[in-house]
Amino acid sequence: MSNENMNEQAVAENTTAASLDDFEPAETTAAPEAAADNMLDFDDDPLSATGVSRKSLVIFFLIDTSGSMKGKKMGELNTVMEELIPEIRRVGEADTEVKVAVLTFSTEVRWMYSTPIPIEDFEWARLRASGVTSMGAAFKELNQRMSRNSFLNSPSLSFAPVIFLMTDGYPSDDYKEGLKELQNNSWYKFGLKAALGIGQEANDNILAEFTGSKDTVVHAYSGGQLAQMIKIIAVTSSQIGSKSMTLSDDTSHELGEEDVFAAKQKLLGQQIQELVTSQTDENDVPFDTGW
Amino acid sequence: MVELEVGQEVEMEFGGKAKVLSVIGSGGQGTVYLVRFNGQKWALKWYDIDKMNKPKAFRKNIQTNITDGPPSNKFLWPKYLTKELPDGTFGYIMELKPDGFDSFVDILNTYKLEIDPLTGHAVKRPVKFTSLSAMVTCVINIVNAFRQLHRSGKSYQDLNDGGFFINVNTGAVLVCDCDNIAPDGSNFGIGGKPGYMAPEVVRGIAQPNVQTDKYSLAVVLFKLLFRGDPMEGEKVVRDVCLTESSELKHYGQNAVFVYDPNDSSNRPVRGIHDNVIKFWRIYPDYIKDAFIRSFTTGISEPTKRIIENEWQKLFIRLRSEIIQCGCGRTNFSSMFVQPNEKTFKCPKCGMEFVSMGFSNRSYRMPLYLGCKFYTCEVNPESDDFMTVAGELVENKLKPGVLGIKNCSDRKWKAKMPDGVFYDIAPGKGFPVWQGLEIDFGEIKAQI
Repeated sequence: MSNENMNEQAVAENTTAASLDDFEPAETTAAPEAAADNMLDFDDDPLSATGVSRKSLVIFFLIDTSGSMKGKKMGELNTVMEELIPEIRRVGEADTEVKVAVLTFSTEVRWMYSTPIPIEDFEWARLRASGVTSMGAAFKELNQRMSRNSFLNSPSLSFAPVIFLMTDGYPSDDYKEGLKELQNNSWYKFGLKAALGIGQEANDNILAEFTGSKDTVVHAYSGGQLAQMIKIIAVTSSQIGSKSMTLSDDTSHELGEEDVFAAKQKLLGQQIQELVTSQTDENDVPFDTGW
Repeated sequence: MVELEVGQEVEMEFGGKAKVLSVIGSGGQGTVYLVRFNGQKWALKWYDIDKMNKPKAFRKNIQTNITDGPPSNKFLWPKYLTKELPDGTFGYIMELKPDGFDSFVDILNTYKLEIDPLTGHAVKRPVKFTSLSAMVTCVINIVNAFRQLHRSGKSYQDLNDGGFFINVNTGAVLVCDCDNIAPDGSNFGIGGKPGYMAPEVVRGIAQPNVQTDKYSLAVVLFKLLFRGDPMEGEKVVRDVCLTESSELKHYGQNAVFVYDPNDSSNRPVRGIHDNVIKFWRIYPDYIKDAFIRSFTTGISEPTKRIIENEWQKLFIRLRSEIIQCGCGRTNFSSMFVQPNEKTFKCPKCGMEFVSMGFSNRSYRMPLYLGCKFYTCEVNPESDDFMTVAGELVENKLKPGVLGIKNCSDRKWKAKMPDGVFYDIAPGKGFPVWQGLEIDFGEIKAQI
């Protein structure tokens, strides 16, 4: 499936904020030949350049801040997120401008900042937990913002976003309705989705509905695991999100679209599973015990 | 993945232990640590073997490379392997990046991030070539490094912006990440970085080799000079979202150069690709033609790609055509007015520059105070583009009199106004005048 299809589809369905159809290419002008009389009509310094145009990658963190997250879970989460930012900074290099947007959901749905923030300037604002788990409302809000009119308004090219959901409980609203809206969003379809269930209550099946496969869902039962899993998922998905193509072992036939379709999401599932199985910390005390 | 802890010791293959001091950075294949070994600091690359297709063969290849040694001192080459852990994990140590070098990524970004160790806040520091001559020298150095590598029968396989350290004052280059270098024809699982990979690698019909290196090299050179992606123009930007299939299309199946003279469907877009639009106006045609060839016929015909030696000649020419005008404007001679065949005139201040013609080439070298020429330009047997052979200087005893100083170790002959050729010993010089002729030996030059 190509992006043209993506555009046509969006137009046909006349989806609201979900479409990519509002894109109009900027005016293109071929450079005129440099002639003697116009040598000076522009900044002709061969050394004065702006940074290379970068592709943008937005990482969405959807974080459950309901009352049940209170205490150690929230403390752990805040700490690991603070530590995570410098690690993701290195991911983009010269090609990708990584931006971060954080959506929290409890009784209400709230963005940490009103727009995605470049990773270089991003500062984690510590979160507090209270209220119920409005996951469906969060999906709807994400759908609204994942649009070229809104959070994905880079003038240049974008990679499909990374969407990372973290929750410790069962949704208290109709998450299915919200998810259905989200699933029509082209950015969601092509995005890299991963989810982390925290503690015993989190339902991995719901999380798999969100990510589209069980491979990209992991579970943390302890504080140590929580920190590890967040780092694994966030770093792996942003690395894959910002580079994508890997060489296939099989060079006997030419790659077609069907070979590369959703290749990133599959790779993400594979890598997460490999990393998760290599990290087990059995001595850690589970969240749910010892209160 | 086995991560190393600060303070941990890793056993080296031939004895001794490397002690981990800190993390330097991480990449697709593993993490680089600062270590101490034998009383000296080194960089240790420690692999994540889960992400490797053939770790055993990969290790063996590094071993061979260590034994063979680097093709030249432009490479930060693997020095010693570590022992393997029971699960097969291993690494190698190499010399640290010397002070005064910046990464190519930082040059492309025009700044680097320095992290305040106390607050963790990132501060931007500008990174920029300090002279045009340093930038062109850097390009020559990159091309020359790959020429040396390919001559040794090996290919780099993963040419990208993360593979170089550059001194922005001198143009000196260090090639790093040398661990994927393998004999031409062998591949240990690396594909390359999108945007730099040759179209046939993106399409899955070839593995990295010397010919695909040549394509990637052209991309690196284009990015350094034109500060943009040679394949990213209108056609690509229209896709909005770069999915796997659009990447396959725009960098593989249907890659179109932004300045393809026969296909204008992918021209750079104002507001996004301003660098490319600007620099395409500045560079002389012979440079642009080389890129056009690389990214048009070179896309489908790997054997038609520009060879390193050809690039080297083009950029040595480009460096000799730089004019540093007294008014502060520095540019290539093609960006100066040419009132006659032998004179260049600054369009900004009107200052005129005479030029020198050489017996072995058709293009002329403009003369200005401080301009230099190099050994390879006056000695046909030499490949030395770094050693200055001559420089235009002001006579210290006769202010205002300009002349050429013989900085080489050979004796030259120069024709004086009396019509006689005089010997010019190394360290000596002679005034520049209308009828000047110089005999460098095999090569002759005249104003």
